[in-house]
Amino acid sequence: MHVSSLTLRDFRNYARLELDLSPGISLFYGPNAAGKTTLLEALFLLATTRSPRASSDRELLRWDAGGEAGALPFARIASDVHRLSQSLRLEMLIQLRQEEQANDVQLRPQGNVQKLIRINRKPVRAFDLVGQLRVVLFTPADLELVHGAPAQRRRYLDLTLSQLDPHYVRTLAYYNRLLQQRNSLLRAWRERRRPRRAVDDELGYWDAELCKAGGYILAERLQAVAELNSILATLHGDLTGTAEPLVIGYVPRLAYPAELGDLPDAEQLRAALHAALLHCRTDELQRGQTLLGPHRDDLTFAVAGVNLGLYGSRGQQRSVALALKLAEARLMTQRSGDAPVLLLDDLLSELDMHRRRHVLHTIQQPQQQTLLTATDLSDFEPEFLHSITRLRVETAQVFAV
Amino acid sequence: MALPPNAPLPLVEPVARLIEAFNQLPSIGPKTASRLTFFLLRADAEVAQQLAAALTDLKEQVRLCKRCFNITVDELCPICTNPSRDQSMICVVEEPLDLLAIERTGAYRGLYHVLHGHIAPLDGIYREQLKIDDLIQRVRTEPITEVILATNPNTEGEATAYLILKDLVPMGVRTTRLARGLPTGGDLEWADSDTLGSALEGRREL
Repeated sequence: MHVSSLTLRDFRNYARLELDLSPGISLFYGPNAAGKTTLLEALFLLATTRSPRASSDRELLRWDAGGEAGALPFARIASDVHRLSQSLRLEMLIQLRQEEQANDVQLRPQGNVQKLIRINRKPVRAFDLVGQLRVVLFTPADLELVHGAPAQRRRYLDLTLSQLDPHYVRTLAYYNRLLQQRNSLLRAWRERRRPRRAVDDELGYWDAELCKAGGYILAERLQAVAELNSILATLHGDLTGTAEPLVIGYVPRLAYPAELGDLPDAEQLRAALHAALLHCRTDELQRGQTLLGPHRDDLTFAVAGVNLGLYGSRGQQRSVALALKLAEARLMTQRSGDAPVLLLDDLLSELDMHRRRHVLHTIQQPQQQTLLTATDLSDFEPEFLHSITRLRVETAQVFAV
Repeated sequence: MALPPNAPLPLVEPVARLIEAFNQLPSIGPKTASRLTFFLLRADAEVAQQLAAALTDLKEQVRLCKRCFNITVDELCPICTNPSRDQSMICVVEEPLDLLAIERTGAYRGLYHVLHGHIAPLDGIYREQLKIDDLIQRVRTEPITEVILATNPNTEGEATAYLILKDLVPMGVRTTRLARGLPTGGDLEWADSDTLGSALEGRREL
């Protein structure tokens, strides 16, 4: 798939931008803080409804964003997306919430910003946007994926699966909601705000639903890891010029019975999860939280049996992060028959010649749209530069070269 | 120069106070609150007096039915005191407004029980905040043969129904749940997949 346009209004440092994009490779270059990464961020937001870097969505609005007379300040992102079978116009309004509305208990604001989403001008829920445009983003911060907290690694799988399957997005949101309710219930007992009677009855509903959703999420993740591993069996070696495959290990907090094999189905995992939850009841009551389930799982990355999250050099870890992202893109292509848009931020700054050549070869495939950013053109071969679209970015303006 | 948004406006105290009072109501912001206040200021004194009297009566006269916790002015609500209602059936709802919705159908002739909420640990609402124990007590002491659980078809409503069911099963009373399915006059092709799924699950013999 590819995007043919990107429109921004009052988004970060951009006041107005109307950009046409070619279906091949586009390289955005220019000085630091000009607004190169912001372009990738805007597309990532349209694909996933979340920003890869903002800690608060308030940051997404340009500092002096003004609304039309009487309206609240807002930022707008829009793009035309062309998929195998159809073309869509995606739009996101990021609007500052009025103080009075933020106080309304029914709205439960997350921060002080609300996002309004439209597909082909029709308002839809955030859920419905995820997966319409599929992207894979690689940034220097992705090193975190390898040596950071487990939550980062779960997010890697969740983002991949969410973009591929609307049912996964919904189930994950439902699971998180159940988890919060269940944890509140456990916490009330732990803090002795309620008598501990009929504990099994009170937890019964939450247990059953949590395990149903959790079993599905677990089965989907295990399946995705198996597919990623078969991709990485050759991809990592090609990327690094060694023969060693990269192996992702899924580490479930739940020790499910070995007789279920490598890829248990959702129903088997639901049953295993339920049995294990009942088993750790006393522990959970003591700790006041849900101790088992996909929200506690982790991934490991090993080459030749060595866990690179623990023992890898910075260079090795960077290769792993890049290999994971390229594998994610290939998984999306395999499953949907349509290649995702690659967003590669400051890609070449820390890669050696071999890895560079491999990545540039990967993105020079037909039907592959890639948006690259760089501060300097000297990292690229002249032939490469001639074959692509170059765009100069300076103080929130984009110039065709 | 426009005033900063949070600056106090130069209003006399009674006007400011009423604006503030309206502002506390759900879905009413400062603008609507001002509009309502200035409407009342200009309207006949009678309009304001009627509103004031209605508000006072609301809090002084309305209370909860001793039996089913519906809103009422007497000890028992009109449904509980109506001898022609079927005394062997209880329909359990979350809120008085849900009761009204079911009454509007005209399809139900039994009694009600209003829980006044649903289980939501995240908001600090557990079974003891709801009228669940009172319901169990009623089933135990009244000649009830069927309980219809009409809580909302969402997570919290289902959790509430589950908890009540757990208590009712050992008592041997027939317990039913409202069917989940397609809206009348709707179109299969536009139904969301969750709704269509439950409609399939809850299909019945013809």
